[in-house]
Amino acid sequence: MMAMPRVGVFVCHCGSNIAAHVDVEAVTDYARTLPGVVFVQRNLYTCSDAGLREIKEAIAGERLDRVVVAACTPRTHEPLFQGACREADLNPYLLEFVNIRDQCAWVHMKEPEAATRKAKDLVRMGVAKARLLEPLEEQQVPVEPTALVIGGGIIGMTAAQNLADRGFAVKLIEREPELGGMLLRLDTLYPTGEDARRVVQERIAALRRHERIEVSTSSAVSSVTGFVGSYEVTIEQVGHCVDPGAAETKGEPDQALDAPVGQSFTAGVIVVATGTQVLQPEGMYGYGRTGYGQRVITQLELEERFRTDALDVGRVVMIQCVGARSAERPYCSRICCTTAIKNALEIKEVCPGSEVYILYRDAETQGTRYEAYYTQAREAGIQFIRYQVERPPEVLAERVLVYDEMLGAMLSIPCDMVVLSTPLVAGEGAHELAQMLKVPVDEHGFFLEAHVKLRPLDFATDGIYVAGTARWPAHLEETLAQAYGAAARAATVLSKDQVQSSGVVALVDEYLCRGCGRCVEICEFGASALKEASWGMKVARVNAVMCKGCGACASVCPTGAMQARHFTVEQVTAMVRAALEPTVSSLAVESR
Amino acid sequence: MSFEQILHQTRAFLCLDCGKCTGSCPVTRVDIAYSPRRTIERCLKGQPEDLIHDRYLWSCLTCGLCTTRCPSDVDYPAFVIAARTEARRASVEGPYAHHGVMQHLMGIMAEPVEQNRLGWLIDELKTVTHGEDFYFVGCLPYFDVLFEDLGVVSTDTARNGVRLMNALGITPVVSNDERCCGADLLLNGDEDGFRELVRRNVEAIRASGAERVIFTCPECYHAFRADYPRYVDSLPFDLIHITQLLAEHVDGLALGGLAERVTFQDPCRLGRYQGIYEEPRLLIEATGADLVEMRKNRDRSVCCGSAGWVSCGQCAKGIQMGRLSEARATGATKMITACPKCRIHLNCAIKDENGDDALQERSGSEIAVEDLTELLARALPSNELGG
Amino acid sequence: MGEFQPRIVAFACNWCSYAGADLAGVSRMQYPPTTRVIRVMCSGRVTPGFILEAFRRGADGVLVTGCHPGDCHYVSGNENAVVTVDKTGRLLELLGLDDERLRLEWISAAEGARFARLMTEFTEQVRELGPSSLGHGGAAPEV
Repeated sequence: MMAMPRVGVFVCHCGSNIAAHVDVEAVTDYARTLPGVVFVQRNLYTCSDAGLREIKEAIAGERLDRVVVAACTPRTHEPLFQGACREADLNPYLLEFVNIRDQCAWVHMKEPEAATRKAKDLVRMGVAKARLLEPLEEQQVPVEPTALVIGGGIIGMTAAQNLADRGFAVKLIEREPELGGMLLRLDTLYPTGEDARRVVQERIAALRRHERIEVSTSSAVSSVTGFVGSYEVTIEQVGHCVDPGAAETKGEPDQALDAPVGQSFTAGVIVVATGTQVLQPEGMYGYGRTGYGQRVITQLELEERFRTDALDVGRVVMIQCVGARSAERPYCSRICCTTAIKNALEIKEVCPGSEVYILYRDAETQGTRYEAYYTQAREAGIQFIRYQVERPPEVLAERVLVYDEMLGAMLSIPCDMVVLSTPLVAGEGAHELAQMLKVPVDEHGFFLEAHVKLRPLDFATDGIYVAGTARWPAHLEETLAQAYGAAARAATVLSKDQVQSSGVVALVDEYLCRGCGRCVEICEFGASALKEASWGMKVARVNAVMCKGCGACASVCPTGAMQARHFTVEQVTAMVRAALEPTVSSLAVESR
Repeated sequence: MSFEQILHQTRAFLCLDCGKCTGSCPVTRVDIAYSPRRTIERCLKGQPEDLIHDRYLWSCLTCGLCTTRCPSDVDYPAFVIAARTEARRASVEGPYAHHGVMQHLMGIMAEPVEQNRLGWLIDELKTVTHGEDFYFVGCLPYFDVLFEDLGVVSTDTARNGVRLMNALGITPVVSNDERCCGADLLLNGDEDGFRELVRRNVEAIRASGAERVIFTCPECYHAFRADYPRYVDSLPFDLIHITQLLAEHVDGLALGGLAERVTFQDPCRLGRYQGIYEEPRLLIEATGADLVEMRKNRDRSVCCGSAGWVSCGQCAKGIQMGRLSEARATGATKMITACPKCRIHLNCAIKDENGDDALQERSGSEIAVEDLTELLARALPSNELGG
Repeated sequence: MGEFQPRIVAFACNWCSYAGADLAGVSRMQYPPTTRVIRVMCSGRVTPGFILEAFRRGADGVLVTGCHPGDCHYVSGNENAVVTVDKTGRLLELLGLDDERLRLEWISAAEGARFARLMTEFTEQVRELGPSSLGHGGAAPEV
């Protein structure tokens, strides 16, 4: 009979985040009564240096062989405590994390008694599983020192440049025939008024000179398999191919090799910088209506007019928040107010004597720089008229009607042009790419990072990073910072010779295996295969490096031969049973 | 029960160490590491409690081949079941198949649930809620859900069974209150669960007023005959397996019209345990089908390889492959089973074969598994078949 | 202690629904404390055995949550969850247990509000169904 494991339980106050809503002392006292628990401790912040040290000391001093941490969420902090276990010579998979903050204290803030009882239940479940945990081995995976950057706009190029400067090979994939992305379609950038094309062309030129960057335009990713350190990527040709030498880099010798399409290669990391598109406000405010033709346009279309010098207007009305901050699309697209101001200032410069009215709901011009920009706009004579969402402006044949709250009157503004500020929306193909990479998108189709504060440029999937407006609408200086950040994040993997692949994988108990092949059929990663066994029959075997630990094979295995380690039948069953046991607490503890 | 008591009650103390059990055991044939003889010997000479933690405790099929040959009449299957009961008391359970779903279902049926289990009935079948004859259906409706992907509709057996009973002029009671007979719970050492099921089933049968219970499943039949009396004061009704019932009235059935070549898989619980060998054969021959025997038939018949929804794996599959080989060697196109478990397990093995090119090449001809009730129903004069 | 407080077990997948549950917490959305979440890597890990175990032990309701179809981190694991919940639902029906006590929901990592809403709605649904008849002094083994 195996000796009962020695379990240590560490309950975190998380300052007052947990402690204000859960009786941490009661939970700790309760933990002490659980079978197998030989040591309990409360910490103010278990993730602090002091907390981590206390865990390591307890592992050594109390000869703990299982650790339960009841704190925030494993999705952010499990690796930290696993690291502490490693340092104390305890296999990191002998740690069980119990979520008593994000899924307890923070969501039952008005019911401390019930929250405390729930925390006790969750700790009991965690201890029940911890008792059954087994040490797991990680596999070493070599890292291919190549980065795949998807998206050849300013953000993708900046990230690529940065990674290449650090000494890594980069493959940059761009769907369009030319590099440059959205900036190619802009005239100037705010608040400096720089020429957008010049900025991006300088970047393109630098990129194409770089030896370590291989560019494929008119290319898209068609499949991605593998895992951090060795993603197997296949790219394919899309649309028509344009001779890169003839496009942007006029006069520059084209030294960058364009990779032949249809090729496959290995990349250690992937950076997603696929950008966005601008919403076309079909049917809104007369856009696209016959007869209104060239009169009602978007801000992006206005940029084009600037570039082709085709602008000649007397009075322009801009309408903000078109198709944004509504029931269908409740978010603010961040850049539209500053874009409107930029374009308004430009109109006044290009067409002297012109008037511009900006009809807005809220002027999103934040920070010192953009407040000053707003002041600049007002000093230039641009008029700002506030409208309420319940009474939006009306665009008629030659004028715009808007109800001015301040005056309490309907204004009628005759104008030559109406410019609609529409939001950035998810880029074409973003959802398909997300599925291919197995990363999430939010309800608006923007890529979803692992954690908004703690892991803002990572995906939850290791080795894949995101930067730019593909993530959410932001100003260029913000997205550029993200590009540098994502490159830095990617470099943390690329700079290593190898990474650990998780120990949470499936394992076959060959005695119970019938060789029926259901696991082989269901595995999306090809990790299970049938092999000849000693009795002339076939049994399944799992490749631990290819296995992602999802447990689907274990679910379809009819005999129980396939074990999803760290989530075995025994472990999950123990948690279910523990969840439904009555919470017996001593009277002394209850009376609080 | 202490192990000493178990060893006494099962006559294990009389073991001669002759090895006939191990030589007969179908599990040993596939996995040489398993040995009934060694299991008994270790318990007699060493610490019997060690057996509780031995995975092989759960490998025995309780097929009974060993005990029919043992010169000392050691009841090895009973020994295994008693040992498993002790294991369960020490909080040790076996490696359940199908994630323990069967054990869960049986356990839930032991509670006061109001099932919804009569959906398998169709209009043409004549049944009542009160009457002289009670048809005990067992777990068939649940098997329908669990073994859908095998293409096995277990309740076909129930429908064909009732059809055959109706043909005899019997209108059986079919009750919504019957539940799993509990044989597999007992086989896994869960005496408490078994006891509850016994109580509830006997109550349901009593409430229907029935004087006789008819079974299509040999395991249910054997459980009622051999195990139920130990757990209730009295069993106030007769018990009969459908093969016995039909064989008694075979002339009245007027079976005939079939010509296929078939072989018959004797279920362990019907054959060795209850001595019912000839009735199924009589019925098969009455249909006109050409019955050819496998080399090991009747009391030498080999178990279908799985028992109690526990410890399925290489052994089970090896035994099934062997049995299917034997069946094919007879030249039969069909293997007739009289047990819903045999039907499921053998179909599972055939499915595995079909998915494995190498195995298919080795195994050769096609063979299908058919339930006896279906064969007989097909041979009825009205020739109605359906699901 | 008048009102019946349901006991609900919920399985949540690491990449989507568990993350959505975390987001509900980060956003301080409040919901009834009736549910105990068990984290699995994928909703496809959930088997009929786990669900029936929960009901046998007295759960009044069981939730299986995972990524939206097409968005599974492991490509198709959530399709397995559909099969599992369907099969288990049919078994529950045969057993005469209300299959409304078992529910499958897709919740993405961004849907904190949806998770909170589900907790509240499902609690109410189960409350109306009343306490489960299982797991209270029945023959369930105390192993």
